[in-house]
Amino acid sequence: MATIDFEPIKLSYTQRVLKWIKEYNPPWIPIIILSSLLFFGLFANFVTGDPMANDLKARQIAPFTDIHHILGTDMLGKDMTSRLIFGCRSVLLVTAPSIIVAIFIGTAIGLIAGYTGRITDTILMRITDATLGFPSILVAMLLVTFVGTGYIGVIIAVTATTWARFARMIRGEVLSVRERDFVTLAVILGVSPFMIMWRHLFPNVINTLMVMISLMIGQVVLLEASLSFLGLGMSPGEPAWGIMVAEGRQQLLTTWWVSLLPGILITLVVMAFNFFGDWLRDYLDPRMRRSR
Amino acid sequence: MWQYVLRRMGEGIITLIALSFVVFGSVHLTGDPADYLMPLTEAHDQKIYEAQKKQMGLDRPFIVQYWDYINSAIFFDFGTSYVIQKPISELILKKLPATVHLALSGFFLAIIIGIPLGIMSAVKRDSIFDKLGKGFAVFGLAAPQFWVAIMLILFLGGKLQWFPTYGRGDIQGWWPTIEQIPQTLWHLALPSIVLALSVTAAIMRLARSAMLEILDSDYVKFAQVKGLSNRLVIWRHAAKNALIPVLTFGGITLAGLLNGSVIFEVVFAWPGVGLLLLDGVTQRDFPLTEAAILLSGFFYICTAVIIDITYGLVDPRVRAR
Repeated sequence: MATIDFEPIKLSYTQRVLKWIKEYNPPWIPIIILSSLLFFGLFANFVTGDPMANDLKARQIAPFTDIHHILGTDMLGKDMTSRLIFGCRSVLLVTAPSIIVAIFIGTAIGLIAGYTGRITDTILMRITDATLGFPSILVAMLLVTFVGTGYIGVIIAVTATTWARFARMIRGEVLSVRERDFVTLAVILGVSPFMIMWRHLFPNVINTLMVMISLMIGQVVLLEASLSFLGLGMSPGEPAWGIMVAEGRQQLLTTWWVSLLPGILITLVVMAFNFFGDWLRDYLDPRMRRSR
Repeated sequence: MWQYVLRRMGEGIITLIALSFVVFGSVHLTGDPADYLMPLTEAHDQKIYEAQKKQMGLDRPFIVQYWDYINSAIFFDFGTSYVIQKPISELILKKLPATVHLALSGFFLAIIIGIPLGIMSAVKRDSIFDKLGKGFAVFGLAAPQFWVAIMLILFLGGKLQWFPTYGRGDIQGWWPTIEQIPQTLWHLALPSIVLALSVTAAIMRLARSAMLEILDSDYVKFAQVKGLSNRLVIWRHAAKNALIPVLTFGGITLAGLLNGSVIFEVVFAWPGVGLLLLDGVTQRDFPLTEAAILLSGFFYICTAVIIDITYGLVDPRVRAR
């Protein structure tokens, strides 16, 4: 009887990528929106002109009526297109540092609380819950009173309201991971608590962390926009989307587009992050998948 | 049961004390009120500065100052505002009716719309209705509230001129007079709709997922097998239980709204506590912010404790933890 050879099917790199895409069906529209956010944020000064240059002769031009200002100009004759594009940079400048610091603090506290347990856990989780309970806008306002408005103030305010979500989530994961045999073994072998957290627990919560990050960024973008809108964020006149919405409000009936356009961009970016986060959760961590 | 209630209340009190300590401490760490209140021309005169400090009681040890502050705070005395030069409790009480009116009307609108919509989309899963609801929720969670509010002002208030776009009319205090009622409601309409929109999305999603879970349970299937009419099963058997998580969330949301929905008050120039707080923040009026944050913390912790105790009453498993 002839033996049948099962030749492993050799796939080229492109084929494998195509197969992966077919299998997991990544969300294209959110990916395109988010990569353009990244691109325009990084290269804003190469793509477009000065967002602060005001041409008083070209004030209040409605969108799609002037070839030089495709998206129109605001009350001071600043070009909407370049302000919107520089707005991408403001989003990155605030979101990236505050999310990174929040991840660092949240993960550390989650790991310590989850691993050490008992009184440390109770105290840390009480603090976390107290932070979570407050509406983030109030905490942010309190902090801004102390630190003052401006770039640093926003970052501190956003960080202070975001870390707790990471801490809660990571702690929950650690509670289940630390019961596994390899952790017990490490404890018996006398590995130091720090090394256990760093080498054994942390790698096992990275997936959850990634999902959390992509779901939280949308919230951070919204919070930053709200603070800017209230005049507690970046300085007035800066090209941040929240500030632009507030500027348009002053002459809403005549220059409605100054408010309308940045709001649409905020909504699109937050939606994109939310959809991407949902997809990433299904891909990385099927247990967290929403049942329906 | 009593043990559980007492423990939960004790935890609430400890959290409140910790919060007041942190708030009071951070005010004193980050700024020197005496320095802040000095007239600019005398800013470098050490003698006047010392006198000012003494007069404000800032030369005493931190812990004594804290104790004094808490002692008067318990009796609703938060000192005097730096900027407006009036007792803070008076300022807050004056602004409270506006905030409460807006919060309650927006919240009930959201409940009345959100819960039935959520239940309907769970019952008619994957129908056009459900998909529209899902789209609405996705949009509602992503669009910035201040922007939605401004756009509605632009269309309903500005272009169509259906509603007034700012302020609350002539009403002063809690109750409008008979002649003021229509005007008050008319001013309340647009802010409440906008406020409700922001809450409805979340309530709807929550009601939907809770309802789906319950429709899947054995007792609902049994009720259906027993031959009860669909309407009876949905509204009498399932919806009742699906409401528990929704109402918990609702309680927390209402506490949040009562604390002053700063953004809505700013957009609609609504003279409430949130607007007062924002003024305090931008003018660095420390006693005012301190008081506002402490009060909202008090609100929050009370709500959380009440919700936990109610849960304990309903579900013995919670008590045992």
